[in-house]
Amino acid sequence: MVHDLLESFIVMSVFFISLIIRGDKDEHAVLCNEDETYDLKIADTSNLLLFVPGCKTPDQLPDISASPQLVHAQIWGFSNCYWELRRQRPRLKKLKKLLMENPYDGPAVGMQEEAPGPKYTMDDLLERIQASREEIEAHLQNVHACEIDGFWRILDFDYEMKLLGHVTQLVDSESWSFSKVPLSVCLEELGSLEPKSMIEHCLNCYGRRYSNEDGQVIYALDEDKVCRATAQLLLQNAVKFNLSEFQEVWQQSVPEGMSARLDQLRGLALLDRSSKPETISLLRIEDLPEDTLERFNSLFSLREKWTQDDIEPYIQDLCGEKQTTGALLTKHARSSVQNGVKVYNSRRPIAT
Amino acid sequence: MVQIVISSKAGEGPAEWLLVELQGEVVSRQNTGLAGNLMGDLHYTKEGVPVLIVGHHILYGKQVKLEKPFETMETNQENPTSYTVSALIKKKLIFKTRPKPIITNVPKKV
Repeated sequence: MVHDLLESFIVMSVFFISLIIRGDKDEHAVLCNEDETYDLKIADTSNLLLFVPGCKTPDQLPDISASPQLVHAQIWGFSNCYWELRRQRPRLKKLKKLLMENPYDGPAVGMQEEAPGPKYTMDDLLERIQASREEIEAHLQNVHACEIDGFWRILDFDYEMKLLGHVTQLVDSESWSFSKVPLSVCLEELGSLEPKSMIEHCLNCYGRRYSNEDGQVIYALDEDKVCRATAQLLLQNAVKFNLSEFQEVWQQSVPEGMSARLDQLRGLALLDRSSKPETISLLRIEDLPEDTLERFNSLFSLREKWTQDDIEPYIQDLCGEKQTTGALLTKHARSSVQNGVKVYNSRRPIAT
Repeated sequence: MVQIVISSKAGEGPAEWLLVELQGEVVSRQNTGLAGNLMGDLHYTKEGVPVLIVGHHILYGKQVKLEKPFETMETNQENPTSYTVSALIKKKLIFKTRPKPIITNVPKKV
């Protein structure tokens, strides 16, 4: 615990850039440098560790051809315990939770000011999230957050889809190629509907930015991201969908020329091929628990037996530095063969 | 939440210290405490083997490079939520062998 840290302690580490220890009183302390997060665990040894400043080892001493030398060295102190660092995935679920307290759904209408609600600057986030700055910045990008008036805001999903809709409709009416969407024209044509910064933010989230030979800023829309977001919009309105009906509606809803494919939905939706008719439902990885054990319990209570292919997108982020999903499954699940297919179920009884 | 900043002293890198690891406990002869007392003598043989003489015991050890270096840190007096790295430890002398008593006066056979 953070409040247990001793006045002077020893840490096993290999770097020197600015390090920060973060944690609430009841959280386990983590150590962060610019882009990594480490768990801090106290370790003790039955051996006595003595610290001797400046004490030399044989390779550092001159050749003893001359008379023997007596060097006085002082033991600075001793200890039986030390702190060990272990790289861990940062705890970022809290970040989205904080930003969802007050999602942004467009500029205030008319003379009204934006409704009051909690807002967080980057410094506020660094104060609250147990992760390094770079990890926080990367996650902000993943959740499509943007900085508005110095505060980091997550967009209300319907608003985000509204922005995307404006862009895709313009692409269609101008008959542009999806990979050649000019920023300046978008801002000109759509700037009257929504703030230009929001239009540009939408393009940044759903496309890849580049410059053409004339130095103009162009975007290449990402088909997978656009189709995936469209699927989420459809799926979030019902508990379950008939799979084939969903696929039809989905294909019709995505911009003409884009292909909606089920593999775009990994980590977003779960297919049930055992039911008749086959169904699909929304299951987002970000809605599942962050802790490994809790995640597995949650997944097994949703479905008793999983194939590796189905469960993989929902456990991928739990893997340690050199761990594979296979290793995770071996550790946390029990396998069996059902209808010639290898399936995994919980190691302990789960209420379904 | 608490944020504790750890930094190394500006300019110079941290000093390098040596870790000496012993199996067991070191106590002072008359239980007067360890601070300020002479612990013992550290010698190196021609082959570079560290030899530690504590009281009337002799211990042989070896020099080991630490897989994961240690850093020592101290709190800042003015700012309790800030630590400075005082030293870096990359190697240690470990004494794992059983201490042998040194007998200096062997009585002659009568």
